[in-house]
Amino acid sequence: MATFTFTPHIASRPTLSSSSKRKPKFNSIKTTKVSLQTSPPSLSDPFVLQLAETLEDSLPSSSLPFPLQKLRESSAETLLSTPWPSRRDEAFRFTDVSFIKQSQIHPISNPPQSSQLSSIPVETQFANVVIIDGHFVDSVSNLTELPNGVYVGSFIDLPSHSIAKRVSEFVDGKFVGDLFWSINGVGAPDLTVVYVPAGCKVENPIHFRYFSINGGEEGSKELAVSNPRVLVLVENGGEIEIIEEFLSGDGGRSYWANPVLEVVIGCGGKVKHSYIQNQSLNAAHIKWTSVQQESTSAYELVEISTGGKLSRHNVHIQQLGPETMTELSTLHLSVGNQTQDLHSSLVLDHPRGYSRQLHKCIVANPQGQAVFDGNVKVNRYAQQTDAGQLTRSLLLEPRATVNVKPNLQIIADDVKCSHGAAISDLEETQLFYFQARGIDLETARKALIFSFGAEVIERLPSTSVQKRVENHIKELLNTTLERS
Amino acid sequence: MAYCSSSSTTSASPVVRYLPSNSTSSTTSTFSPLPFRSNRRRSVRIATASLSPVNSPSTSFSGSQKNLLLEVKDLTAVIAESKQEILKGVNLVVYEGEVHAIMGKNGSGKSTFAKVLVGHPDYEVTGGSILFKGSDLLEMEPEERSLAGLFMSFQSPVEIPGVSNIDFLNMAYNARRRKLGLAELGPIEFYAYIFPKLDLVNMKTDFLNRNVNEGFSGGERKRNEILQLAVLGAEMAILDEIDSGLDVDALRDVAKAVNGLLTPNNSVLMITHYLRLLEFIEPSRIHIMEDGKIVKTGDISIAKLLEEEGYKAISTA
Ligand SMILES: Nc1ncnc2c1ncn2[C@@H]1O[C@H](COP(=O)(O)OP(=O)(O)OP(=O)(O)O)[C@@H](O)[C@H]1O
Ligand SMILES: [Mg+2]
Repeated sequence: MATFTFTPHIASRPTLSSSSKRKPKFNSIKTTKVSLQTSPPSLSDPFVLQLAETLEDSLPSSSLPFPLQKLRESSAETLLSTPWPSRRDEAFRFTDVSFIKQSQIHPISNPPQSSQLSSIPVETQFANVVIIDGHFVDSVSNLTELPNGVYVGSFIDLPSHSIAKRVSEFVDGKFVGDLFWSINGVGAPDLTVVYVPAGCKVENPIHFRYFSINGGEEGSKELAVSNPRVLVLVENGGEIEIIEEFLSGDGGRSYWANPVLEVVIGCGGKVKHSYIQNQSLNAAHIKWTSVQQESTSAYELVEISTGGKLSRHNVHIQQLGPETMTELSTLHLSVGNQTQDLHSSLVLDHPRGYSRQLHKCIVANPQGQAVFDGNVKVNRYAQQTDAGQLTRSLLLEPRATVNVKPNLQIIADDVKCSHGAAISDLEETQLFYFQARGIDLETARKALIFSFGAEVIERLPSTSVQKRVENHIKELLNTTLERS
Repeated sequence: MAYCSSSSTTSASPVVRYLPSNSTSSTTSTFSPLPFRSNRRRSVRIATASLSPVNSPSTSFSGSQKNLLLEVKDLTAVIAESKQEILKGVNLVVYEGEVHAIMGKNGSGKSTFAKVLVGHPDYEVTGGSILFKGSDLLEMEPEERSLAGLFMSFQSPVEIPGVSNIDFLNMAYNARRRKLGLAELGPIEFYAYIFPKLDLVNMKTDFLNRNVNEGFSGGERKRNEILQLAVLGAEMAILDEIDSGLDVDALRDVAKAVNGLLTPNNSVLMITHYLRLLEFIEPSRIHIMEDGKIVKTGDISIAKLLEEEGYKAISTA
């Protein structure tokens, strides 16, 4: 029996109160002076403390530049009062992270040795950044053809003092995510920066390749944790396309990638972001993407996630000025015993904003699961906003599970919002149409399943990435469907 | 709390489609029309209503050299879900090269009969037999029936979002070629093959890049069905109300295309409500269906009588 939960949750003015009840209460003696951002307040969680200590110990603290030092300290402080999430927390109700807790976690303190670099395939098409186990590795990256004034590299190597100062404003920003966000803040060995000066339109994409080469053998309890952290700062009128690709590494190694990406887009700026997650089926992959958009800027995300035993993408987007555009398209594919989770929150605070979210997931395994919690908040001053959200799930196995909670909260009154959710198996009448034209059932099924995902894949800006993703998904579906 | 649970695979609760700005999926492969298009235009000139198909009513049953194509005997069928009986003993014999028509009131079972012939899963056959080219059709999967040369154009063909028309046709055509032991055609070779067929049904090239039937007008869907017939070919084509929803010019186009596909060996079974189509594609036999049975068979004069006086003129009662 397939199960799903689904909450079309459109709260308009009268239910405003529902959001206020989540305000943190600071009645605990222990935590009052620690951090104002945590909720609910509680005593320190011994597991989290130990994890934080291990991470801190693994990194040299003396040489850190001031902003990173500050980030590490504030993150550590937050961790003091943040417990490890349980299924009782609304945000983790359907996403079980206990397998991380039950593993032996060890940080990867040192950048990879040069002997380990030979396995990194050379990429010639785009300017590219290689991040291995959280460490930016200059020697295998290729950043030779960047336009004037554009910087891509480690924070420490920033050439200009003024840019470093500018970037520093955002290193330890206002936004604080959940526990995993703070773990990254403590454990990030470095900060990789992409800086696009005002008015500069970077023509070619920057390709981020993240490799996880340390990790336990398949089936072991070892979990090597890495905390890559990247900040993209696009000044007014600047434009750039970035491709983030998380690769599997060899075999089914167990590791925990805990990356954070922050994107700051100035007025009229534009960022196209592709995110492809294809990690080992024994890995945990928990990512944060936080985006701040000034007025009239545009941000487009296309995500394709197929890897990981536990994969979660937390997306937080804040529109900071009027006439701002945000488009999110995601495709999650769960062909194994795996969870694919998207938790997104989009806040529209200003007039004439525009947002579109399309989330699609395919669950093709009886033990597979997809989770979607998509919150779009259209606040009081966001008049004449046009916000759309659509989620569609395809369950190919009778016991496959999907939990979707599309959630549009509208407080402004002059808005155009649309909203929808559908969960289905393949349509029998469509399958029959193929058969009636001589096409066998298996081919028909594949074509329909693939076309379901194609709607998102087609939105990847780079055609070469599109082709690669297409082939990868076809391969995954082929092996899965042939097994069943 | 805010979640509610249910336990069904198919629940399509409130679906609000939103169309992202770039959702017209016509971008994939844009072929430019070949330069020799107009020179090679196939001219299928058929003077109105003059084409008399290779057979005539008087010879079709006596002609000893004619081969039996389809033989339906006492066919009964129910709706799979409700077990309600719709076909109550249908008998029909079609020889190679013949054109037949089935007429009958709304709801009399014409479409059901057509769909049962091609193996639609909504229906269950409960009795009788169907022989097609000597083989038991009821033993064959729908795709095998198609590959064996049976084609039905749907009264209301379904939309298939995400699958482009040309990919769909290419898949179907390659399934045919595989069956014949021929090499499959890649997209470019296939395009060269299909291009001339577009003229046949007067369809624009951009239809190929649109998703199958998605957003097609009624008439466009019918043309698309005939295009599929033209691409795949068939020994027996069942055309379910190919004329409904067509304007006069479109009707002429479609009829012309069907006539163009007729050979001495293949047959057509048309389902229609109107004499007009029968004047374009002349049938040798017209059957009247009533309450799941064929109750009368005759020549074009039945259709004329129907047109003038309605079903009461030929009622069995
Ligand atoms: N899948 C189905 N589910 C329920 N009822 C059905 C189904 N298929 C056919 N019927 C019913 O069976 C009867 C015959 O339908 P059918 O579509 O064969 O009629 P028809 O002769 O083609 O009519 P029309 O001229 O209107 O196209 C109708 O009463 C119809 O409602
Ligand atoms: Mg009908």
